[in-house]
Amino acid sequence: MAPDASPPEIVCRGLSKCFGATEVVAPCELTFAAGQTTALVGPSGCGKSTLLRLVAGLEAPSAGSVTIGGAPPGDTLRRGQLSMAFQDPSLLPWRTVRGNVTLALKLARQRKDEARIARLIDLVGLDGFAGTRPGALSGGMRQRAAIARAMVTEPAVLLLDEPFGAVDELTRQQLAEDLPPLWEARETTTLLVTHSVSEAVMLSDRVLVFSPRPAAVVADIPVALERPRRASLSSSKPFLDLTGEVSEALARGMAAAAPRLAAQ
Amino acid sequence: MIVAAAMRRSDPVLRAALGLLLIVALWELSARALSGAYILAGPVEVARYLAQNSGLMVRALRETLWSAAQGFFWGNLAAVTLAVTAIVMPRSERVVSALALLVFCLPLVATGPILRVLYGPGDGPQITLAALAVYYTTYVPLLVGLRAAPATWFELVQSYGRGRAAELWHVRAMTALPYLFAGLQIAAPAAFLGAMVGEFTGAERGMGVLTIRAMRALDVPGAWALASLAAAISVAAYAAIGALARAVSVAPPPVILSPPGAPVGRRLGALAPLGLTILALVLWWGLLEGFGLNAFFAKRPGDVFEALMLAPDAAQTRATLLAALRETAIAVVPGYLAGLALGAALATLIVLVPVASTVAMPLAVALRSVPIVTSAPLGVLLLGRGEAGTITLVALMVFFPTFVACLHGLRQAPGQILDVFDSYAAGPVARLVHVRLPAMLPAFFAAARMAVPASVLAVTVVEWLATGQGIGSLMALSASLSDYDMLWASVAVVALLSAAGYGLVSRAEALVLSRYAAEQVRR
Repeated sequence: MAPDASPPEIVCRGLSKCFGATEVVAPCELTFAAGQTTALVGPSGCGKSTLLRLVAGLEAPSAGSVTIGGAPPGDTLRRGQLSMAFQDPSLLPWRTVRGNVTLALKLARQRKDEARIARLIDLVGLDGFAGTRPGALSGGMRQRAAIARAMVTEPAVLLLDEPFGAVDELTRQQLAEDLPPLWEARETTTLLVTHSVSEAVMLSDRVLVFSPRPAAVVADIPVALERPRRASLSSSKPFLDLTGEVSEALARGMAAAAPRLAAQ
Repeated sequence: MIVAAAMRRSDPVLRAALGLLLIVALWELSARALSGAYILAGPVEVARYLAQNSGLMVRALRETLWSAAQGFFWGNLAAVTLAVTAIVMPRSERVVSALALLVFCLPLVATGPILRVLYGPGDGPQITLAALAVYYTTYVPLLVGLRAAPATWFELVQSYGRGRAAELWHVRAMTALPYLFAGLQIAAPAAFLGAMVGEFTGAERGMGVLTIRAMRALDVPGAWALASLAAAISVAAYAAIGALARAVSVAPPPVILSPPGAPVGRRLGALAPLGLTILALVLWWGLLEGFGLNAFFAKRPGDVFEALMLAPDAAQTRATLLAALRETAIAVVPGYLAGLALGAALATLIVLVPVASTVAMPLAVALRSVPIVTSAPLGVLLLGRGEAGTITLVALMVFFPTFVACLHGLRQAPGQILDVFDSYAAGPVARLVHVRLPAMLPAFFAAARMAVPASVLAVTVVEWLATGQGIGSLMALSASLSDYDMLWASVAVVALLSAAGYGLVSRAEALVLSRYAAEQVRR
């Protein structure tokens, strides 16, 4: 990342997306503050992943626009300042863990920094597996390798699409503790799509709760818990209050959509 | 039983060797039974012939191998160039694929003599025919391989703001590698075949020349020795490329299925074939004009149209052509269908008898690489010059690739679904009908598609070398009489008919697969 790059603000204006006649993302006005981590929570298939892909410029909007730091997403992409971790780890099977992490630096046209590569592989708990190919790793290990790959370029924008989906519960908690300091130190604008309410609260500064498809925001909940956050936080009263609030909003969204869904 | 048990445990190479031994023994036995009939030379006699003529054989083999190697190189280079073009410029894929198919459908029997006139003496025609024989069978799997990656791998590249070149380099090149090797494996024997057919058209040295000479002189041991040598070389080349692929640790790809290009019913619709035909005609005309080729032997589309439609003897020309086509159809259609049916049926049967399949598979893979066309003279020796011989050779040409593809396909049946059937204690027939046969369909159609040009090649070569009937013979006759109007007209008609047959099978494939294997049909 260029030394002068500060994290950008992401702005969606009148953004919507249809696939054929199906509206996946309802027209929305969203602003993601620079350097903040926002969790996007909603029922599966509601269109949150599509929203993420719109922000990454991987899908073209049907209407409206996305800007990152005031410019189209393509500009950020071309500077190698955006990283995305996909639902599927999407590791290239012929490259080792180290090779896959290194590939991100190559694609982002950055200098190959051996120390940083080793540190990230170590951080996601894959030290000792750097020379292993993905085929020989468990699902959770692959996903951790994918996270290391997404973070190695020290991106200004980090898009995480259910990155912990296949990770076991213990590792999940560990990663939830270890990873935020990394993107906080870099001041990265982070969007995190997740199914897990507690993960959303634990990792983010703000939780957006979405309705069933087409995705529309039903609640915008700030998370003012102090950092660094430890696993012990998850049994504290403020944490439980927040998760309760998010769960309620989710249920509200489902209930409001129920008649419409039944009609379909 | 003990042999069967040993076979089940042993590796494929050993099993193939056992099968081969069995075939050689049967071959020797039938040769002894038929001794005096003057049609079949056994392995002992073949070995003796090879030993006695080793000098001649080595010289001829060196000649043919060198032509084949050069053709292999140029043909595969063309295949890679075409496939990369189609991937980097997706809009061009349709046109590239269609023209590649049309050129592949040009009958070697006629392009051979035309190339001979163009090049004069020397090895130009052999190399060109070898290249023509290989490029398409590499192009098709390569195109599939270059796409054989999940969408997110490309999105990963895109998410760093990189384009098609980075996709090609970081993702597609590696996913295509197994498919490239699979294509090269098929291409090696095909190049040898192309070089031999090229030599049939009047080279001075080489295996093809010796084969023609042996056939004309009714030299039975000679003909069998040459065919055995060609078969052995082809199997060896096929195996060597397979070994090379394993050495660079490339796993074989799943059966190559997706038809290249031509997604069903897109914008152009019915107009596409028309546009492509016009484009092909323009290219035909442009190439001949561009090289400034003599209009006496290098006929333009206009000349062919005049010969078929406007000239005073046009009606007679058309009648001759149609009569020849009818004769060819009588041999090629039953042969093609029989080859397909036998291949699929035998593969299905053999899956029900697992021990048989462990022997048959490696053997069939080895035999698939035998250039059957180069042994056409043997077919004539064995089966005579009638229709039966031609039909049998066409059927054999179609049978082996179909059989191997179907066996692969039957094995692709998803294990979890078979487990479901097992949990209901379903019998082998139920598993076959409900799981294995649908799983076989994509592979079957892929083979049926490629078998169309292959059977046209087989039938024209046999007609040309042996039976003196049909379009193959007409082309050979026209070439020797310098009736270039008739020759070019035949080439155009045969290429169009082959491409149309291929298109027809592709259409049937799309219809069936959209029901049984929707994931194979590209939209």
